[in-house]
Order: sequence, then C-alpha cells, then structure tokens
Amino acid sequence: MTELATMDFHPQPQPGEARPWAFPAPERGALDNGLTVLRCHRPGQQVVAVEILLAAPLEAEPQGLDGIATIMARAFSEGTDKHSAEEFAAELERCGATLDAHADHPGVRLSLEVPVSRLPKALGLLADALRAPAFEDSEVERLVRNRLDEIPHETANPARRAAKELSKELFPATSRMSRPRQGTEETVAAIDSAAVRAFYEKHVRPATGTAVVVGDLTGVDLDALLGDTLGTWTGSAAEARPVPPVTADDTGRVVIVDRPGAVQTQLLIGRVGADRHDRVWPAQVLGTYCLGGTLTSRLDRVLREEKGYTYGVRAFGQVLRSAPDGTGAAMLAISGSVDTPNTGPALDDLWKVLRTLAAEGLTDAERDVAVQNLVGVAPLKFETAAAVASTLADQVEQHLPDDYQSTLYQQLAATGTVEATAAAVSAFPMDRLVTVLVGDAAQIEAPVRALGIGEVSVVSAE
Amino acid sequence: MPMGHTATAEAGSGGLTATEHRLANGLRVVLSEDHLTPVAAVCLWYDVGSRHEVKGRTGLAHLFEHLMFQGSGQVKGNGHFELVQGAGGSLNGTTSFERTNYFETMPTHQLELALWLEADRMGSLLAALDDESMENQRDVVKNERRQRYDNVPYGTAFEKLTGLAYPEGHPYHHTPIGSMADLDAATLEDARAFFRTYYAPNNAVLSVVGDIDPEQTLAWVEKYFGSIAGHDGKPAPRDGALPEIIGEQLREVVEEEVPARALMAAYRLPEDGTRACDAADLALTVLGGGESSRLYNRLVRRDRTAVAAGFGLLRLAGAPSLGWLDVKTSGDVEVPVIEAAVDEELARFAEEGPTAEEMERAQAQLEREWLDRLGTVAGRADELCRYAVLFGDPQLALTAVQRVLEVTAAEVQEVAKARLRPDNRAVLVYEPVAAEETDADAAEGTDEEAAK
Repeated sequence: MTELATMDFHPQPQPGEARPWAFPAPERGALDNGLTVLRCHRPGQQVVAVEILLAAPLEAEPQGLDGIATIMARAFSEGTDKHSAEEFAAELERCGATLDAHADHPGVRLSLEVPVSRLPKALGLLADALRAPAFEDSEVERLVRNRLDEIPHETANPARRAAKELSKELFPATSRMSRPRQGTEETVAAIDSAAVRAFYEKHVRPATGTAVVVGDLTGVDLDALLGDTLGTWTGSAAEARPVPPVTADDTGRVVIVDRPGAVQTQLLIGRVGADRHDRVWPAQVLGTYCLGGTLTSRLDRVLREEKGYTYGVRAFGQVLRSAPDGTGAAMLAISGSVDTPNTGPALDDLWKVLRTLAAEGLTDAERDVAVQNLVGVAPLKFETAAAVASTLADQVEQHLPDDYQSTLYQQLAATGTVEATAAAVSAFPMDRLVTVLVGDAAQIEAPVRALGIGEVSVVSAE
Repeated sequence: MPMGHTATAEAGSGGLTATEHRLANGLRVVLSEDHLTPVAAVCLWYDVGSRHEVKGRTGLAHLFEHLMFQGSGQVKGNGHFELVQGAGGSLNGTTSFERTNYFETMPTHQLELALWLEADRMGSLLAALDDESMENQRDVVKNERRQRYDNVPYGTAFEKLTGLAYPEGHPYHHTPIGSMADLDAATLEDARAFFRTYYAPNNAVLSVVGDIDPEQTLAWVEKYFGSIAGHDGKPAPRDGALPEIIGEQLREVVEEEVPARALMAAYRLPEDGTRACDAADLALTVLGGGESSRLYNRLVRRDRTAVAAGFGLLRLAGAPSLGWLDVKTSGDVEVPVIEAAVDEELARFAEEGPTAEEMERAQAQLEREWLDRLGTVAGRADELCRYAVLFGDPQLALTAVQRVLEVTAAEVQEVAKARLRPDNRAVLVYEPVAAEETDADAAEGTDEEAAK
C-alpha cells in the first residue's frame, strides 16, 4: 500500500565540523550592601533578563501560614514607597517589562525581563519593590482572596491535583514539602499584611540575596546602574539558616484520586533521589532521558508510538532543594496521561519497561544518542538571555559553582552506558515508587489492583 | 536557480535582513544570516490548515501532521525525531487554522541533515505511510484531544466559542483538533489524498535562519528539494470573508463541572495584515493585556469580582480575527455583574479612546513581545514563513514592530468603537454543576496542535 516517489534521493548527509560553543561564564561580584551579583554579556540579546534570589525558603514560613512566601512574592509588585499598586504595574509595563515572582522550597525568586533600552528604569522599580514594598493592608487582603480563588482551579486540574497528592504521600506531615507550596485554604486565609511584613523583615535582605543580569550589555555602565538601584537597598548582615534534611517514604503503593467520569487518568509516579551535588547526577540525567526524556525514549516508544495509550509520558528529575553539604534531594518522577480504559494496560507496560531496563540495561546506541542530544542542544537551549539567567540562578540557589553547567556537559560526555543504566535503575526501582492516579476510580481501581504494584487506596478529589 | 535580491536592512528592522529565492518547482526559500550563536533554524510552512478540511473530516490536517513524523522514503519509523535529536537538534510541527509548520533548530554543522529530512518527507512520505502508523497516530491524537481539551476544566471553551463566532459551514467554524467522530472516520486514503493535494513544493515556504552560509545553504536546498515535482491541484480554500459586524449577540451557557463561573467572549475583528488589526491588538492590550489594563484594574483590583481577567488576540488572515475575553469569577460573584462591568469599560473606552500613557504602555508591551519572537533563530524563521505564506512578503516580518508603533490613538479608538460592541461578539458563560450531572470537564484553548 505504498507508492513510489519520483524525487532524486541522496544519501544522508554527514555533519560538518562543529563550531565551538561554551556555556557562558558569568562575572561574579558584590555590591556594598552585600548583594551578590552575577553578570553575563550576551551579544544580540536585546531583552535583558534579571533574576533576584531571596533566601526566604518555604520551610521558614511560620507555622499555620503556609503560602506567606507566595503572598509576599506577589506583593512586591503591588506598590512601593513611590508608587501605588496600580501605578507600579503601569510603570513596569511602560518599560515593556514583565516581572514574575514565585516562592519555592529554596527561596523566593523574582524574574524581570526588559528591553535593554529601558533597563535603568525597570531596575529602579525592581529595587523599590525590594527596598520599600508597601504591603498595604488592602492589597495584601486582595492577594489573599485572589489566592483563595485560585485553589479550586488547581484542584480541578488533574496534573496539579496529582502533584499535590504525591507530595502529601512522599513526605512526613511535619515536613513543609508535604504541603502545597502556595498554601491551603486554611493557611492562606490566616495571612495578613502584618504577617507578610514580619516575614519580609526576618528573611529578605541584600546580604543573603543574589542578582543575576544577562543580556546585551553593550554601552551599559552596569556598576553605576546597580549602585543607583539595587545598591540603595539596605538590611542587616547575613545569618546562616540550618536546613532540615529531606526524608521521604517511597514504599511502593498506589493512590487513586477519584475523579468520576474522567476520560483520562493522570499518572504521576515518583520518589526522592539524588540532587546535583551527588556524583551520580550526570548518569541519572542520562539514564532518565533514555527512559523517558522524549518521544523516542523507552516509555513513549511503547506507550505512545506502539500502543497509542497517551499523547506522551515523560520521566524527569527536578531538584527540590539543595544544601552545600550535599543533603539536598530531587524529585524523580514519571508523568503523563493515558485514556481511562487503557489505564491498567498502560501501567502494566510501564512496569514492563522498567523491568526490562533493570534486566537488560541500556544499549550503547541509546546512550550515544542521549549524550549527543543532551550536550548538542546546549547552544539552542541557551540562545536567550532568560534561559542563561535562569540556569545561573538555579546554580546559585543550589549552592553549585558558577561553572557547574559547563562541567556537567563534560561529565555527560564521559558517562558510559553501564553507569547510565545503573543510575536509571536505582532512580526508578520498581518496588519503591509511589503511584498517584487522578482518574475515574470506578473504572480503574480493579485493573490497577490486579497489577500488584503496591497497596491501592482511593481518596476523594476535593 | 534564480537568485533573489540581497536585501539591505530596512528602517525599523533592527538590523535584521532576509533574502528570497524560488526553486524551479515553486518552492519559496527565505534566508536570514546571523552568526551570534552556532545554530541554524529550519522552518517549513505548508499553506494548508484546518480551514482546508471538509465536512466529516475535521482534524485531518493535524492528524496528517503527526503522520509526517512516521517515516518517509529514506527515513525509517521515528527516524525523523531520532536523527534530529541525535544531532543535538530540537524539532516539532504544529497545525493551525491557516497553515501547518514543521521546524528543526540545529547546531550549525548539522543544518544539512535537517534539510535532507524535510525534503525526504516532502517528496516521498507516501512510500512509508501505512495502516499501522495511521491507527497508532489516530489513537495518539485522540489522547492529545482528551489531555488538552476534554479532561481539563474549560478545555473545550475555545472550540465552543469558535463554533459560535464563525457560522456553520464557515472554514473556521471548527478548530484544528477536530472531533472524535471525524478522527475515527479518517482513512488512510484520506491521508494519502491530503498529501497529494497539499504537500507540494509550490505550496510551501522554507526559511533557514542563523549561522549559515547563504550560498551553501541554497545549494543544499536545490540539491535536496529541487527534484520534487510541483503540482497545481490544490483547491482554493472556502472563502472566509464575513461582514465586519456579527449584528447580534450570540450566546451559549455551558453547565459543566468547572471550579468557577466564567465569562468568555470572542469579538469579530479586522483581518491580520491590516493596520486596523494592529490597532485592535493595541486596543485589546490597553483593555485586557497585563496587570495595568483597564479590565484587570476594574475587575481584579477594584471590584474584586474576578480572579483573572484579560483579552487576547487570535490573528487570522483568511477570516476575521478574534478578540478573546476570558474572565473567571471570584467567590460566588455572578456573571451578569462581570458582564455589566466589561460592557461599561468597553463603552467608556470607545467613547474616550486610550490615554497617551496607555498607548505608550501597550506599544512597549507589544514591542517586547516582538523582540522576544525575533530574538531566537527559530522565532525569526517562523515569522519569515508566516509573512511569506499569508501576505506574500517575508520582509514584512522584520518591520512588523515598526507598524505597531506607528498606530495612533485615534485609530485604536476607531477600531474599538466599531468592533468592541455587544452586537459583535459570541459569548460563552460557564455555570458550574456538581460532579454527578456531567461527564465532561475540562485549560485554555489554543489554536495550535503540536506533534510532540
């Protein structure tokens, strides 16, 4: 049932000579107020990216006020000593700027993007926000109400709902990691402007912060500019914060979050494993890619391209929090959605893929393609200022050296098939995976029980 | 091969240039050099989208796009993905109302591979297309539909609103994802006929952008694409023209298991490529783009009746564009309260027009969005194809931002007054119901479907 083509065929071309590219090395310094500054000139990148890291981790949130770091992060753009909330938003947009802020386990992060021509003005606004946030009662109250309104939308979203359940299952109830990053209805409702200000005063100061500035800085006197803006922010000296160890229970089990009538089941299968401080990280990245990094990886080769059960299933490792002493951890997980009637067969195939990987290992060809991709895509991946800034900021946040990313590429290239196999197998052991399924329990519970991949419990979605 | 002119940078192009060429078989080629990073983007737009589909075969253009990744004359199975990724490249394809695009971003030294792969499937897809791929990708696309539309709250809003805004029988009445029934009904023969009709070099534009040697690149293009025969059997798409104003308010109330009430609306706006469309873009930005917009200030900050409120623009060249309103209510606020406030703000805007400061903000925002889009080789390659396919001139991509900056406040007010009226919109109201009463539940609509 095929037809002949009439074009002239040529053999597959061979690559030319690779042109050198290296992950940019930032220049590191500090302002008089103690703020650490990383800068990186990227010719041609007219939109400058600025990342600000604040040492205000989620585990510093006061008891019963989960979500306060998020409210504080959002409140930074709701007015200062110079501008009302509406004026501040207007002034930022007048610069053609965007400012995002979010709170996560390692800390609070603000991301500014702005055309270089308007960088001075936008940096001034950002400095105002950090130096003298208004935290007005009515604005904080509005942010709290707005946050409360968002929660039902997240509960209704299968991927968000699955993530929430997995955290609850994996981490002990006493750990901040077991609870939603942005708080629950109860904790968010208890937040007010006085509490936000107290959190700000306790945890936000230049001495424990970092600014990363990346873009085409031709003709920009960055030292003078930073001095006039972020340099005017003051605060007490840095104090070391003890970081509690990350513990998790990865006993193999299944939790079904019941969503009657769902046409698909959202899968999130995870556990906790090594972060970037562990020597296994490069091999784990490689092995995880071979397992489920892309459409041609092992999971999708079966679940998507052979069986058609899914639009795509991915395996990934995501750092939760790192510490200088190496006690940090990453979430290792497999996620995707499969149609309801094929939930049992899809999980069965998924476990078969893991079993085959453990029994037979990866092939050299798979390893080679993975290395070529992971290392080869670097110049594409880091074309924009924002991508470079974000990776540099991640490194700082994770207590890694500034040349970490370039070293990682060398390590990936030097990692063999045997190491990658071992890392993938120990990252995803068949009997140490917590499986969360958001789907129609009436239809999927029995087939999932029959698989014997762990004790099955059913909880309500609400 | 006739060589095109070498363009010098036009005013407002930010120093970017592009040259145009055409092979004897009709393939148009656009090249743009930029040696800042050792990468090159290849982008191929076929002038076919869901507007070309016929009744009973919605979703075929997108399903077909998936089949383009299932092998061709010299490429086995998933070889297209494997070879590009193994070369350190990234790739995908997407389908919209008006076009289907395929793209690879490669390290410079692997550019030739991407050209070879694109040519292989343009010239010899049918040598590999079989029932097995068809059945498999049909299931994958149905799962894509479930994941992005049917299994998320408000997921089918885009489809519903488009269906309201464009009348039955109009080429844009249905969205690129298509219906489950039509996806089930599509046959291998439909796919083969689709390829023979639309996948011809003279129905495509190829752009290559980045760290390239233009002469060498053109020689490769000629070598790999030059022998693919052009053909002219393509039927013209059905006419998408509609009166400027709908003339009445179209309305649908959806009772579904959603987390909050919502008011969504689609306003009929000028076609893409016109100055009036740029003016409409600015009007929507002032009214509902970002956190200093009139609707955000009114509904989210002052009235506190909404959790989110904004306007977006779906630019379309072959039919009226759509101005996209999306408001999710706060707490137990009812939709009429929101609707009255929106109408009041729109009427006031039509009466007053934008302030000088609002114009400055909106233009600054759109300027940054353009800098972002042209800031990567892949973004630039896509925009060059877009202007070549839809408007016949890729150079327009490089001056687009200039045109937005030239629009006056009076023009913005004019388009708002003429178009942002209650009798020129389709409205979709969401009223939540408890779980037992429904089995449909659903994220934001999009006009694009991706293969990966």
